[in-house]
Amino acid sequence: LASSAELGGQEGNPAPATSVQKLLARASGLRHVEVGDIVHPDPAYVILHDGCIEATYRELCALGYGAIRNAERVVFVTDHEVAYGSPLAILRGQAIRDIAKRWRIGHLFDVGRGGHGHLFPLESGMVQPGMFLFAYDMHCTTFGAAGALALGVGPEITTVLATGTLWTQVPATVRIDLAGRLGRGVHARDAGFVLTHGLASGRWGVEYDSRVIEFGGPGIEPLGIADRVALCNSVTELGIASVLFGEAPPGASREDCNAILSDSAAMYEGRIGLDLADIEPQLALPGGPENASAVAGTAGLKIQHAFIGSCGSGMFDDFAIAATLLRGRRIADGVRLFVVPGSVATAQRLADEGLAQVFLRAGAMMLPAGCGPCAGGSMAPLGAGEVSISTAATNHSGRFGSTEGIAYLGSPLTVVASAVRGCITDPREFLP
Amino acid sequence: VNAAAAGRQLIRRGTCHVLGDDISLDDDIIPRRFSAGRVIDPLLLLPHLFESLDQGFAARVKPGDILLAGRNFASGKPRLQGFIAMQAQGLSIICASMPGKMIRRAVARSIPVMIAGTQSQGLAATGDEVEVDFATGEFRNLRSGLHVGLPRMPAMLCEIVAGGGAEAALRAWLERHPEQALAAPGNLWKSTNN
Repeated sequence: LASSAELGGQEGNPAPATSVQKLLARASGLRHVEVGDIVHPDPAYVILHDGCIEATYRELCALGYGAIRNAERVVFVTDHEVAYGSPLAILRGQAIRDIAKRWRIGHLFDVGRGGHGHLFPLESGMVQPGMFLFAYDMHCTTFGAAGALALGVGPEITTVLATGTLWTQVPATVRIDLAGRLGRGVHARDAGFVLTHGLASGRWGVEYDSRVIEFGGPGIEPLGIADRVALCNSVTELGIASVLFGEAPPGASREDCNAILSDSAAMYEGRIGLDLADIEPQLALPGGPENASAVAGTAGLKIQHAFIGSCGSGMFDDFAIAATLLRGRRIADGVRLFVVPGSVATAQRLADEGLAQVFLRAGAMMLPAGCGPCAGGSMAPLGAGEVSISTAATNHSGRFGSTEGIAYLGSPLTVVASAVRGCITDPREFLP
Repeated sequence: VNAAAAGRQLIRRGTCHVLGDDISLDDDIIPRRFSAGRVIDPLLLLPHLFESLDQGFAARVKPGDILLAGRNFASGKPRLQGFIAMQAQGLSIICASMPGKMIRRAVARSIPVMIAGTQSQGLAATGDEVEVDFATGEFRNLRSGLHVGLPRMPAMLCEIVAGGGAEAALRAWLERHPEQALAAPGNLWKSTNN
């Protein structure tokens, strides 16, 4: 991390700043930025996934572009359609490899390499605290768990590729102070659902659109990287700008991160307190994670389709905790449970540590690392009239295939508890 | 157009159309069936602009008219169709609030946007002739005589809008950076969808 002297060059301290102000100032070569300023940050990486690469290439070709800016920092990931479920997908894979060569992009993570583009870059250390990134996909907010700021810009990734940057308005920050500890059988994903529902329903009366959500407080200290990813992912669907943490990521020291963490006198637009000890297992009802309510309200509903994985719950610890509940048990007849590791490294570790066996003995099926059914159901889809429970990023109509399927979201614990019983189940029923 | 000069002044004059809160991009601005059908031809979209809210809107609206909306304008899924149609009609937007990513899409489509918060209330009634300078925030209601200053659109964004949006900006960038041009324009890469 660069020292403040290297970044500044002027005498005296700049005004107090939030983490997002500091990260955008650094990436824009400025000493200080205010909320609302328009800046042109220089990204460390630009990440595109397999679903958007061809269209982006075609658009820039049509405008006459043959070369992109800073191609060495561009990352192609293959996570949406990994196992090529159709002839078209095979052609798309060929096109992506071809485009990677034509544009001379720096990092191609082909099928079977890397895994989920929102997860493996932070597991592998590619994404570092203090980094700034642009990505096509909104769920890139998971990098906040590692202390990096990622902004999903959708189709305007073309401007980033062509010019190296994109205008960005410095967002305001809503700080969420977590206290207490999660109870047994309760997961960080449940806390994420409570927050998402609370923000969307106006429980705290704060605006969240295009704001950065910053987590802080004593409650985050015991949370590992997978738990932090779960929190980042849960609130993303609300239309927030990104997510950051007010404390150093696991494995980094506070001193190392002072240059990128919010100052104590930083101005937050809103501030919310939440006691993790008060949280019960949650179920997001069909439509989106903001439709969360206690699992108890839907308990007993029969399910046919289930999966653990996706950008919010696809790290090793997510599967490890699910395996503790599943060990020695079998999933119910008539239920198909898919396990979708977030990265190739996680898939390998699940095999090495014997956890893959726990899932396979229970009757679950392992899918290749990537998005799994959450990418439109191109793999292991949900059928019409079926009920699904999963750890997916969202559950709007048709997300996993049929628009006539009914999809619920829960924590990895709630998903496996439900798969074992064959119906929506509170995982605390399995506590010894 | 000299984008830098245009950025200092971005004046639109037209008839005002007052809309409510939570006007959705993916149904209210253009009916959902057009995004589901991936219709992107502005001529096909224009007759259905705001059809879900007001059957007669498309017949009444004129090029250059100004929308005055409430909170959360263009909410919902970020579909292309609503912005394609609003751009084709040369509309501009004043609203209480609008999702950040939609502001980005509007600017990319060369649609001026001013986020006026509570100041957006009571500025005009549907049918009033208004004149707005998005670069300075100056708002005039030519019927009522109201003349107020609203939060202006940032100069950088005025430049993009005045210059013709993201596509025009990318063409201009390529002119300044010919080293990024296709080496052999006749040898366009063939898409897998062909």
